[in-house]
Amino acid sequence: MPSRDLIVAVDIGGTFTDITLQDASTGQAWTAKTPSTPRDPSEAFVTGVRLALDQAGRRAAQIGRVLHGTTVATNLILEDRTAPTALITTQGFRHVLEIGRADLPRRDNLWAWIKPKRPVPPSRVFEVPGRIGPGGEELIPFDAAAMRAAARAAAATGVRAVAVCFLHAFANPAHERRALAILAEEAPGLAASASSDVLPVVREYERSMATVLNAAVMPAVSTYVARLEERLAEAGIAAPLLLMKSNGGVAGSGAIRRAPVQTALSGPAAGVVGARAMAEAAGVPDIITVDIGGTSADICLIAGGRIGLTQSGRVGPWPLPLPMVDMVTIGAGGGSLARVGPKGAGGGALTVGPASAGADPGPACYGKGGTEPTVTDAHIVLGHLPPSLLGGRMALDPERARRAVQEHVATPLGLSLEDAARGILAIADNNMVGAIRIVSVERGHDPRGFALVPFGGAGPLHGCALAELLGITTVLIPPAPGVLCAQGLLAADLKAEFSRTIATPLDQADPAALEAAFAGLEAEAAAWFAAEAVAEPDRTTTRVALMRYAEQGFELAVPFGPRDALAAGFAAAHRALYGFDLPNIAIEIVTLRVEAAGRIPSPAPMPPPASGTAADARIGSQPMALRDGMAEAPILDRARLGAGAALDGPAIIVQLDATTLVAPGWRATVDASGALLLRRHGGG
Amino acid sequence: MTACDPVSLEIIRGAARAAQAEMEALLERTAMSAFIREKKDFYTALFDAHGTMAVGSDLPIFGDIVGPVAKHFPLETMRPGDLYWYSDCYGSRGAVSHSNDQVFLAPIFLGQVRVGFVMGWAHFSDIGGLRPGSLSPDATDHFQEGIIIPPVRLMRDGVTNDDLLRTFWRNGRFPDQSQGDTRALMAAVRLGERRVEEIAARFGADVLADAFRQLLDRTEATVRAKLAATFPVGTTRFADAIDSDGQGNGPFTLRLALTRTPDDRFILDATETDDQAPGPVNLLMHPDVPGMALGLYFLQGELGQVLNAGAPRAIDEVILREGSLLAPKPPAPLGLRGLTMMRLLAALHGLVAVAKRGEAPAAHSAYVVIALRGTAPNGKPFLLSDGVGVGYGARPFADGTDAVYFVAQENYPVEFMELSYPVRLRSYAINRDSGGAGLFRGGCGVVREYEVMAERAMLAVRVDSVRNPPWGVAGGLNGGSGRAVVNQGTPGERELPPLSDGTILVRGDIFRLETGGGGGWGHPFDRDTALVLEDVRGGFVSPDAARAEYGVVITGDAVDEAATARLRSDPPTPTGLFHRREYTDAVA
Repeated sequence: MPSRDLIVAVDIGGTFTDITLQDASTGQAWTAKTPSTPRDPSEAFVTGVRLALDQAGRRAAQIGRVLHGTTVATNLILEDRTAPTALITTQGFRHVLEIGRADLPRRDNLWAWIKPKRPVPPSRVFEVPGRIGPGGEELIPFDAAAMRAAARAAAATGVRAVAVCFLHAFANPAHERRALAILAEEAPGLAASASSDVLPVVREYERSMATVLNAAVMPAVSTYVARLEERLAEAGIAAPLLLMKSNGGVAGSGAIRRAPVQTALSGPAAGVVGARAMAEAAGVPDIITVDIGGTSADICLIAGGRIGLTQSGRVGPWPLPLPMVDMVTIGAGGGSLARVGPKGAGGGALTVGPASAGADPGPACYGKGGTEPTVTDAHIVLGHLPPSLLGGRMALDPERARRAVQEHVATPLGLSLEDAARGILAIADNNMVGAIRIVSVERGHDPRGFALVPFGGAGPLHGCALAELLGITTVLIPPAPGVLCAQGLLAADLKAEFSRTIATPLDQADPAALEAAFAGLEAEAAAWFAAEAVAEPDRTTTRVALMRYAEQGFELAVPFGPRDALAAGFAAAHRALYGFDLPNIAIEIVTLRVEAAGRIPSPAPMPPPASGTAADARIGSQPMALRDGMAEAPILDRARLGAGAALDGPAIIVQLDATTLVAPGWRATVDASGALLLRRHGGG
Repeated sequence: MTACDPVSLEIIRGAARAAQAEMEALLERTAMSAFIREKKDFYTALFDAHGTMAVGSDLPIFGDIVGPVAKHFPLETMRPGDLYWYSDCYGSRGAVSHSNDQVFLAPIFLGQVRVGFVMGWAHFSDIGGLRPGSLSPDATDHFQEGIIIPPVRLMRDGVTNDDLLRTFWRNGRFPDQSQGDTRALMAAVRLGERRVEEIAARFGADVLADAFRQLLDRTEATVRAKLAATFPVGTTRFADAIDSDGQGNGPFTLRLALTRTPDDRFILDATETDDQAPGPVNLLMHPDVPGMALGLYFLQGELGQVLNAGAPRAIDEVILREGSLLAPKPPAPLGLRGLTMMRLLAALHGLVAVAKRGEAPAAHSAYVVIALRGTAPNGKPFLLSDGVGVGYGARPFADGTDAVYFVAQENYPVEFMELSYPVRLRSYAINRDSGGAGLFRGGCGVVREYEVMAERAMLAVRVDSVRNPPWGVAGGLNGGSGRAVVNQGTPGERELPPLSDGTILVRGDIFRLETGGGGGWGHPFDRDTALVLEDVRGGFVSPDAARAEYGVVITGDAVDEAATARLRSDPPTPTGLFHRREYTDAVA
């Protein structure tokens, strides 16, 4: 049997599929890029893996693990292309999805807002008698005959998937289990999903929505995963396929086929995991990551190397309260459009985003028909970008960028061209700073103690400006900021959470009962470890208590411990987050959670870059518009910058997947880990 | 004075919005009463150094918030670390319009220079008074509606006057909740204060002041331009009515006359509105409110604009008559002014509809609140105050919204209610046929059935728009009405007055609440038959209504095309601009 030391990570983008192959024992890595094949993504997947193997001169049989992040579920939901789905629910509650929380978003106009169309229309919702009470007790017996009729009626509507969500199923899943059994008999061909499996937490609208979305993406995700596994087998790759989840961990394909909605918020998670790994390699534990793409930016705070989880996620207009990496997404990216509103008394309003030029036509400077100015065009005007991107494969047209900024922003507002461009960037940066404050200050952290890790195609252009606004003095640019997702896949562990709602006042909680509950959750975790074939030494479980003051609506996660430590830990967390605590108000433990992680040995860090000074790496220069006039900024090739190389801004550092702007007043050095560290030295 | 450039202006606007979002998140996470944390009845705003609201919430109910404080505490005496508080309706001329709403206000300083104010506002679920929840249709005097906090200084130089807080908490029935909510609101205001300080430090006091001035001017100019594009020179009139005051009186008619003078001044005259009511439906309307309401309507789709005090400035004069429903004299009770406010909003759209020959949204139902109070089986008193969604009016471009309460306010999940209160919900559904028929259908209300699990409980119901259902416009029909009934379909069935308190329910009683819908827009016979069929399948429209109101015949699960064509060949002719039971040019 050959050694199976190779790990392969596959990231499928809209245009290209990126493959990273790494030898776990030596850390040596190979990358390959192949055009994506949207009709059957598995084609590019396997083509790419073969390309990488050829490069490395290795054989398919040497691959020990295949890692992949998929946006199939996300895109289906966002584009409203999920499978036709039915919902089976408790009698009397057919319109739970339709009514939702009976609100409209706080920032929307009451008279203009249009309620989004639900993924399952009420004509495909079927009611079944039977009732579980809030304590899990059966109040009305389950009506199996009605369930049979509902299953047949649902199947008759031509759906491909069925979701089951009964009231209080989080407290007792018995009725949902029976419904699934009947569905298997009456409608065996249909994908089926029950709320107690997907999201066993209180609040029926959110749980119904999560279950419906899970069922609705099941057929496509199942087909997709099966196809991938088939192709891998054909290619002689017998390694397990692991997929990225929204919680920043990976899970085996079997688990994902049962709960595909767990991948719905995984897109940005892989990058965060990758950024964390890169920062760790550079010895930086406290970071704020900013992933800036074409249309949006994802922002995440990592304190002490620990990625936080939240259950307040959304996908499109829908709440999706599954554990996901705690981050904030805003509509600001390289393609965000700058617009000036109609002239009012105080002049028109200049806004940047959320409208975006997208990939097509893209920024004006791409020359693909875009005429409105974008954030990227503003960078061009100021001389922040080299004349071409992607190693020369994509030329930029600065004249179009200038024209767009001049006509649409500078002229209407009576600004100079450069001031207009600076204004566009300042507004985009300000939007991101607002979001960074939400993940930092609102979570009880002072951003000034953190390093900023900008990545994504446009991130490294904004690093210095964002850091200055936040008072951050260190910016860390990962070795390959444009393709950090693959790094994240390679660095991810297997992860799952197991929770039980107990809702008990802290001072009445019986330690033995808590211990028993945790033991039960840990038994579930052990079964999961076994199913994912995690070896004993690689298993870790962490006990967490989710607590609140009696009658609050949100819980804080506190590491589990003795009662006094829990109370003190909760009060301290409340003070840190919200600025006050309430010593005379009772504390409740709402939920016990066991966070299980199966460590996957991380590959050794990639070899450090070869030696090379800033002078060696210089490949040209171009004029850059600074606040106090023009300067000639050197252009450097990052691939030629060796460990220890240092340079002062202003400078432009180019690489295949991203461009880094070193602002005046900043000094860049190449860390032994391969990361580029930018440090403020005043001035500027 | 340093001018704020367009870039800084947008940055300041973005930062102000971010500050609001942070304050709101803090409130939502830390508040204790379900009214704030689940229903989310809270708002925030930023003001300039003189106390003019520069960045508000998208909610049309705010008057002059800072003025009442400034009257007692001159602005020049304020210092960093101050915090002011009030809930005094008559003492604030309607800046707050029922005493449950607590306003916390902090001045913001850059060094020693006052640069603005920040507000946190939340509805406290009980502040004492006649009945738990403090709001009751039975109130006959404002002093029965809970403790009144005149403008007071709660903090000086960062030191809290705890005696004031203890006095306040002692006057409510749920002091722990009150305490938690107060602390949450104070923390939110402190957070907002820090954020605006940071903005001021970054841009300077002068630039910030100019930014606020520009935001106000911009909103005023936009609203004024829209008013001019909507209303012809002359006087446009519209009147509508609320059903009752809960004490056997009514209907009460709101009569609005909007005059545009030849030199483009806008004057809103409401003096012909009926006299104030004995019951608590009086709306002590701050003169800024109509401008805020029309402002919200006219700012639809205006990217980068914020609702602020610039909107009321676009209306040059608001004339009210003391002693009328919109300008009651103390101590007239005010607790349920929400239903009058909702009718006022629809009446303002009525003015637009008259001026634009139907190009305006149809009327909506007033949001519905029920209160159930008693002692839970665990021996503790409970107050279930449940806000329930209604249907909103159809619009010239879209159906009305189904099952919405009001801006940003959420319902209580069924599971949450059953975990927290001695009730069991038997159904929560769309109220079929409550949406007014039209080319665009009015939104539907909902049905909520509660089974009482406490031995005994007292019920208050607040449903309006029953006798005067929400009007349709431009050929659309009126929306359906709400109702409240106990033990429907049993020998003990009893229909409750839609606006009433004091109904005693006992264990096992089933209370069924139906809420009203919104009016339709455009002729129902012009609605696509496929949409009518989908509405029938989804439980929004009954087959009978499809036939009678839309001229669509549905047999089995399909449209009978031939029969439909026959019916639709002879559509009823709209004989008036509006519809309330019949087509009419004046609904009240």
